[in-house]
Amino acid sequence: MCGIAGILYKQDEDAPLGDALVAMLDGCQHRGPDSTGFALYHERNGDELRLRFFVGEGEEAGETVARIERKLADFEAGIVERERIGTTQRFTVRYTGDLQELSYALEHAAKLISIGHSLDIVKDVGGAHDVDRAYHVGAFHGTHGIGHVRLATESDVTPDRSHPFWATGFADVAIVHNGQITNYWKMRRRLEKRGFEFHTDNDSELIAVYLADKLAQGVPLADALRDSIDDLDGTFSFLVSTQEEIGYAKDRLAAKPMVMYEDDDLVAIASEEVSLNRLFPGRSLTTVEPPPGTYRTWRRST
Amino acid sequence: MATVDLATIGVTEANELLRRYGVEGEDVEVVNPDARHHIGVGLTAPIALRVRGSAGYFCAGLTDGPRVEVDGNVGWGLADNMLNGSVVVRGNAGAIAGVAIRGADVVVHGNLGSRAGQVMKAGTLCCGGSASFMAGYMMYGGRLVICGDSGEQVGQDMTGGTIYVGGKVVSLGTDAALAELEPGEEDDVLAFLGRYGVPFRGQLKKITNAGRNLRYSRTEPRVRAIPFHAAADRTDYWNAKVQEDIHVKAQIGRYRIRGYGATRPLPHLNDLAFRRDLGSVEPDPDVVSKVELATSLGGRFGATPIELSMPVMIAPMSYGALSKSTKIALAKASTLSDICDNSGEGGLIPEVREAARRVVVQCLGGRLGWSVNAMRQADGVEIYISQGAKPGLGGQLMAAKVTEEIARLRGIPAGIDLRSPSRHPDVLGADDLVIKVEEFREATGWQKPVSVKLGAGRVRDDIKIAYKDGFDYVCLDGLQGSTGAAGNEVLEYVGIPTLAGIMEGLDALEEIGATGMPVVLMGGIKDGIDTAKAIALGAHGVAVGTSAIIAGGCIACLQCAVGQCVVGIATQDPRFEGRYDVDAEAWHIHHYLEALRWQLASVVHAHGYRSVYELSRGDLVALTPEAAEITRLPYEPDHAERALAGAAGLAGVGAGHGLPRGEVTG
Repeated sequence: MCGIAGILYKQDEDAPLGDALVAMLDGCQHRGPDSTGFALYHERNGDELRLRFFVGEGEEAGETVARIERKLADFEAGIVERERIGTTQRFTVRYTGDLQELSYALEHAAKLISIGHSLDIVKDVGGAHDVDRAYHVGAFHGTHGIGHVRLATESDVTPDRSHPFWATGFADVAIVHNGQITNYWKMRRRLEKRGFEFHTDNDSELIAVYLADKLAQGVPLADALRDSIDDLDGTFSFLVSTQEEIGYAKDRLAAKPMVMYEDDDLVAIASEEVSLNRLFPGRSLTTVEPPPGTYRTWRRST
Repeated sequence: MATVDLATIGVTEANELLRRYGVEGEDVEVVNPDARHHIGVGLTAPIALRVRGSAGYFCAGLTDGPRVEVDGNVGWGLADNMLNGSVVVRGNAGAIAGVAIRGADVVVHGNLGSRAGQVMKAGTLCCGGSASFMAGYMMYGGRLVICGDSGEQVGQDMTGGTIYVGGKVVSLGTDAALAELEPGEEDDVLAFLGRYGVPFRGQLKKITNAGRNLRYSRTEPRVRAIPFHAAADRTDYWNAKVQEDIHVKAQIGRYRIRGYGATRPLPHLNDLAFRRDLGSVEPDPDVVSKVELATSLGGRFGATPIELSMPVMIAPMSYGALSKSTKIALAKASTLSDICDNSGEGGLIPEVREAARRVVVQCLGGRLGWSVNAMRQADGVEIYISQGAKPGLGGQLMAAKVTEEIARLRGIPAGIDLRSPSRHPDVLGADDLVIKVEEFREATGWQKPVSVKLGAGRVRDDIKIAYKDGFDYVCLDGLQGSTGAAGNEVLEYVGIPTLAGIMEGLDALEEIGATGMPVVLMGGIKDGIDTAKAIALGAHGVAVGTSAIIAGGCIACLQCAVGQCVVGIATQDPRFEGRYDVDAEAWHIHHYLEALRWQLASVVHAHGYRSVYELSRGDLVALTPEAAEITRLPYEPDHAERALAGAAGLAGVGAGHGLPRGEVTG
């Protein structure tokens, strides 16, 4: 129950990504007034990892941060930078060990929002401009990103149930999804048997882990998306992003909207054209609605 | 030509201006549209409207007469339900372009998204490019011209109308077939294309309905009617109803269709009682004048509310399921009792509009009889999502009841077994629904209350969505609600009881801190005592359907679907309808409503309250463990005897007390 948006700048490494996504999501906020979230990517800086946690407020936040720091020390992840903003705590660390192990351990210590060499996820209750005000999303420059506005139905309105979803245990993979996966439990049990952990009951987390698992096995993103159309039941239009790529997949029933625009500089995808038009006010765009049962990926041309 | 700039004003203000220019007969140009939704919605004047760019959802939706041109693309639901006029789009259209059109020319020079022309009734929808998945889905009439290729399952579940494809037909939908073009047919299409400058060179293929699925293959044998009281036997296995059901299935090899709702015993309002001993209350013939029952519904977003002399409405029932005489009697009774009527599916007929002081018009998935003009005539607009008797399923109207007149009103072929769509073409989630509600608001200038009818199924989620999507009020309908026709198994076993429905609904609203959205409860409300209990639980009011029908002569034989109702209620056959005395039954229904009013007032008064809304949960107890579990009210079975005495006392006096009798003029 929501609206989605994504943008990839083909060459620009320092594009006004945050501003663009805030405008696009504000454009479709009517589809989901409860919460808004952003997955933002910038150029990788060596082995540096960005981690973001929900830590809450006050005393509880202090204890949580201390717990996270102990865990980071256990894994010999050296803290380079730290920032408390909104209800979240961000760390930049240097770490070269097993990422899944680290992330599962951290998950048990606190509510982890995302881990990535390039990725940072910002999400909270409220509209795009509310989240921008609290987290300065608009100031974020980068290469590509995806975003989401949510109208909560099945689960509660809390920051951790907002999108985008990070593929728990895998760096730099994020997803935004509009629709409902009806074989959620079947797929989840299959992945859990193979040792993957889930931290919400949200079907979008499943898509993220499903795709990240394939990517980790060396399957190209495009092929993983192709398989997802066969493997996932239900209604969906989703966007996925990795360090280098963004992509979409759309169910065979065409139940959820999606429209895209592409030129030499960028590709932008959204639930509704009104979001795309926010990037180009006053212009009539040449857009395409992806046919049902299709997928596609774009890679930065560096 | 006037100019409206969407860079400087919002869509609502723009649409108001457009309507004003429409009255003045001045053509308008919209600049900086930037794909915004609802541009031109609700325009009913024959002016030209030029959109200089792209438009969003429901461009030119709910319109009658304008000539609209869009330079760019359009989003979902282009020309939704357009009656007359034309729309020309230079770019592409999103999903369900031309949804439910009833006579306009809708031309898209580019491509059409999925499900183009869904439930269209008349007019022409045309694209210069290709159409995606399921073009012509559930179309009832008109023509769909696709110059390029048609995607998968073209003509899926089409009932009537014609589809022409210039390019490749990827695959045909269920019950769609290729047909030979008649002489002159191609010339007609080419002339249309020429008129709108759509270039086309090639050979047209024609697709029509194959006619294999318009009627149930075997009709149900006529059987001896087993009335409700016999059907609702103490045992729910091997009773007369179960045996009959098995016999009929043995004949026809499928589920059977009947009227009414669940007949099995279910926890209900009877299982609650007032804590206070109402048996000792002296009947007071003037009690109605001593309490406040009047209320209003629908002002949550500034619309003109629906005023009610008591918190009771007539439940939605269609002209189709019911005879016109019955619809008129209900409308008259609603006026006599100063409450509100409801059109049900199939449109607002003039006779009902004339007889009812207040009436809500319903919009269902098939958009049968639905139009902007009906919205304007009504006092409220209601989106039907589902109903308590058959949540998740569409209505069924057997061929015996699909007369020429009803077919014309609904825009469908006569003589089919009409199985209405179970979902809306443009509402596939809460996110789409919010845009649909906005469209209704725009079409009525934010003046008419917009409500939603929900069958009790997944109430907890659904009612939260209703709140977030901005409805004025919710009509919540439980399993004990009735219908004119549905599968027997569905009626008995699909859905949740009214009592469980209202509890889940109110709990859910509390969970999200939702206030100010009233809930009207329906599904087995039979008198003023039930009404008082519903309001004490937290409902704002109730709606009565079955009880009003029974007041007007229904004998509860459950044969509503057959079309040969012996009392002239659930029939379209003049031989049977002739038995129905409209004015006499209007008075009967009115008397019943006044008895309800008297009982309700008596309960309020007996508690020492002035207003009906002083009733609260604290006034109630549960008489059965099941009802206590459902409502979390204290389980106090000892109240049962007193409750019976109380009900008897309140029923004894008042009904018909001092009621005037005379001509019904509406």
